[in-house]
Amino acid sequence: MGGVIGRRLLGLVFVIFSITFLTFIVGYLAPGDPILVLMGPRRDPQLYASLQHQYGLDLPWYHQYFNYLGGLLHGDLGMSYRFQGRSVNDILANGIGVSIALGAMALAASLLIGVPTGIIAALRQNSWLDRSSMIFMLALFSIPTFVMIPILRAANYFVLFRNGLPALPPAGWGTPAHWVMPVAVLAAVTMGYLARLTRSSMLDTLHQDYIRTARAKGLRRRQVVGVHALRNALLPIVTVIGPSLAFLVTGSFVVESLFAIPGIGYLGVQAIAQRDYPVIQGTTVLLAVTVVLMNLIADILYSVLDPRIQAEG
Amino acid sequence: MQKLAIVFASMLLLGALLTGCAAAVTPAAPGAAPAQQPAADGAQTLIWSVEGVNELPGLDPANPQNAQSIQAISLIFGGLVKLDGLLNVSPDGAESWTISEDGKSYTFIIREGLQFADGTPVTAQTFADSINRALQPETASYGASFQLGHIVGANDVASGDATTASGIVVVDERTLQITLDDNVPYFLAQLTYPVSFAAPMHAIAADPTGWTETAFGTGPFRVKEWQHNQKLILEPNPKYWAGAPSLSEIELPFFQDSETAYQLYRTGGLDIMGSQQNPIPSARVPEVQDSPDFHSAASFAVRFVGFNNKKAPFDNADVRRAFALAVDKETLANAVLNGAVAATDRILPPGFTGSQLPVTGLTYDPAAARQALADAGYDSSQPLPQVTFTYGVEGDNERVATFLQQQWKENLGVDVVLEPLELATFSKSLDTTYLTPDEGVQFYLSIWGADYPDPQNFVSQQLRSDSPNNNGHWENAQFDELAKQADTYLGSADERLQLYNQAEQIAVDEVGWLPLYVPQFSVLIRPEVSGYSLTGQGLIFPDWTQVTGRAQ
Repeated sequence: MGGVIGRRLLGLVFVIFSITFLTFIVGYLAPGDPILVLMGPRRDPQLYASLQHQYGLDLPWYHQYFNYLGGLLHGDLGMSYRFQGRSVNDILANGIGVSIALGAMALAASLLIGVPTGIIAALRQNSWLDRSSMIFMLALFSIPTFVMIPILRAANYFVLFRNGLPALPPAGWGTPAHWVMPVAVLAAVTMGYLARLTRSSMLDTLHQDYIRTARAKGLRRRQVVGVHALRNALLPIVTVIGPSLAFLVTGSFVVESLFAIPGIGYLGVQAIAQRDYPVIQGTTVLLAVTVVLMNLIADILYSVLDPRIQAEG
Repeated sequence: MQKLAIVFASMLLLGALLTGCAAAVTPAAPGAAPAQQPAADGAQTLIWSVEGVNELPGLDPANPQNAQSIQAISLIFGGLVKLDGLLNVSPDGAESWTISEDGKSYTFIIREGLQFADGTPVTAQTFADSINRALQPETASYGASFQLGHIVGANDVASGDATTASGIVVVDERTLQITLDDNVPYFLAQLTYPVSFAAPMHAIAADPTGWTETAFGTGPFRVKEWQHNQKLILEPNPKYWAGAPSLSEIELPFFQDSETAYQLYRTGGLDIMGSQQNPIPSARVPEVQDSPDFHSAASFAVRFVGFNNKKAPFDNADVRRAFALAVDKETLANAVLNGAVAATDRILPPGFTGSQLPVTGLTYDPAAARQALADAGYDSSQPLPQVTFTYGVEGDNERVATFLQQQWKENLGVDVVLEPLELATFSKSLDTTYLTPDEGVQFYLSIWGADYPDPQNFVSQQLRSDSPNNNGHWENAQFDELAKQADTYLGSADERLQLYNQAEQIAVDEVGWLPLYVPQFSVLIRPEVSGYSLTGQGLIFPDWTQVTGRAQ
């Protein structure tokens, strides 16, 4: 087990190295110039040269890259091109708590609603409850975020606000009321996916021979389902938690931007538009590390649930 | 049953781990700052959205990087002079000034008892230090050398050869003398741009990188709290020379997307939304245009087609004229863009200083357009080769470019290839066009907006052959002569405007620009808000002691 974790952590170093190199080289080769973006429509060659020098953009690419790596080893992600006198560490520190809160709430919501819905649907297979809940979950899974947001907002405005009922704030971050819409939108895809996966996994398990054996030996239904079926049915769910984090991360770019939530996703999107390379690299490295670590946690959890994995590790 | 408990426990553990972790981190995040304090009884506040950004690039007046920064900086800082609600230069930190006969020397009398918001006195020395600081290379200001470059010695400071400009002289505590290298009639207008505003040198020295977190100056407000990536909260400056503002607080939340701000406005979360750069979304205009909250004005900006004059075929004035005559701008403005813009045939936007003098434009005339193309030597036997039209992907540009392509095909029979570029890439390609015209674009869609209300800002800044903003290198000796004369004209203001008018007529006839339209910008302002003036340069509050906002 320790060996597995060690190997994964070693892999993480390689992942980070590759990510920094790829984001750096893509940024370097991409058309557009961060200094020109900063300076706007007015041309000033003297200032251009001095800013380029100040940010080290007049150095050869490998020199720029090694400067960046050097900083990274000291935990210094550099200074933003865009925001005067602010370090990337500082900018990301501001956004990370918000993004973790949003992502965690969305993951919790999709697990706590998606998984039980899938279980109930499987137990009531082909009933109206099964059909309607699965159609609903399919809709959640397939409606794109940018379509769901206007629908939710229109409902909020026309149904609640216009009738003098307490309405949700349609954007921003701060109070629990601000959380409802973005968490719902971000959780939707994962929730729909988890519910449908739980249902099919549960159905598979319920048709296994050992379930029939358990029933045949006279165990109560609750015991058959709860002890024998559920644990095995949940294994595939744990494996997809890692990948569904990737969904949450990519989703957060859209959700944070459209709800003006000051998290990493919103920062990242803006940094790309403004060619703020240090912030783009910082965001990418941070998200890569998060996804890799969460996958690792999911794997560890999996081995806890399934002793066979542990034995192999 | 025990095993089931373990399964559920591990699931809950995962949930708790994540949510618990979130709960531990959130309070430090800007979003979770304590709820805003309600203002005192009877006090009024204003929530004014800042759109098009998710964060302000900075609050240093010496380095105002975009329109959104300027919006906030203008509330916090003040200069020697400012623009009033009619866009005339009026006193701010200087109560009066005199200009020498040769127009090169300005003497400002600083307002008696002028103080920063923290009570520190502001003297002539403060303004001298602030201007020198803006010019110094360490400040890396994007606008200082352009706005202040005519001050004697400014270039020595900008290049690092001196720390103070010899043209800035502190005569006594309340008298500041600024000498220019030439007569610059628009110098006062340039001083309304933030780079020359009084900066609190003592606060900057105490905390060179963090001082803007609680920025203050001589403006009506000071920073109460800057919640990064979310909003800026301002409180009144008790030492403001015109008297403390009537509002108890202004909140400036940031929204990259105007639609998001609109959603918040209509559920009561904002008092003002929209700006010249980021008007309310055009798709939303029909549902709000009859509401009392809706206001609109013409921008001091012109969208135009620019040409690379160093490269065939647009080095030929007849070809440029043919392209100009072939565009039906009225249809573009009224049908394609639903009347959200006004067609124009000239360089200066309507209402702008100098625009009262008429210019004869190249109006839509397909027959004359074909004739102009024939004059250039292109006809059915020798058609104009395919040309490429470059534009940045933003707002309505896609629709405008497609319409132009169709017009040029229909009226001239010319095949135009569209080259849409993402904005940063587009600005790079314009730069290339300027620096190495041979490798540059052929012609492009662009926009120019006013920095200060003087025709020099459009006519000379864009089209003089020695201007670094003349991307397409259009050149006309007679135009240069007239514009140069007007830029430093000593006689009456009317005569000066006449010179610009003659220059503008040449630029229109010779198609230095192909002007298309003046954007209208629309904003939403709650009826409770009063004391503002909507100008082509945006929303101006001339007297902050009389402004009303939302009651608490």
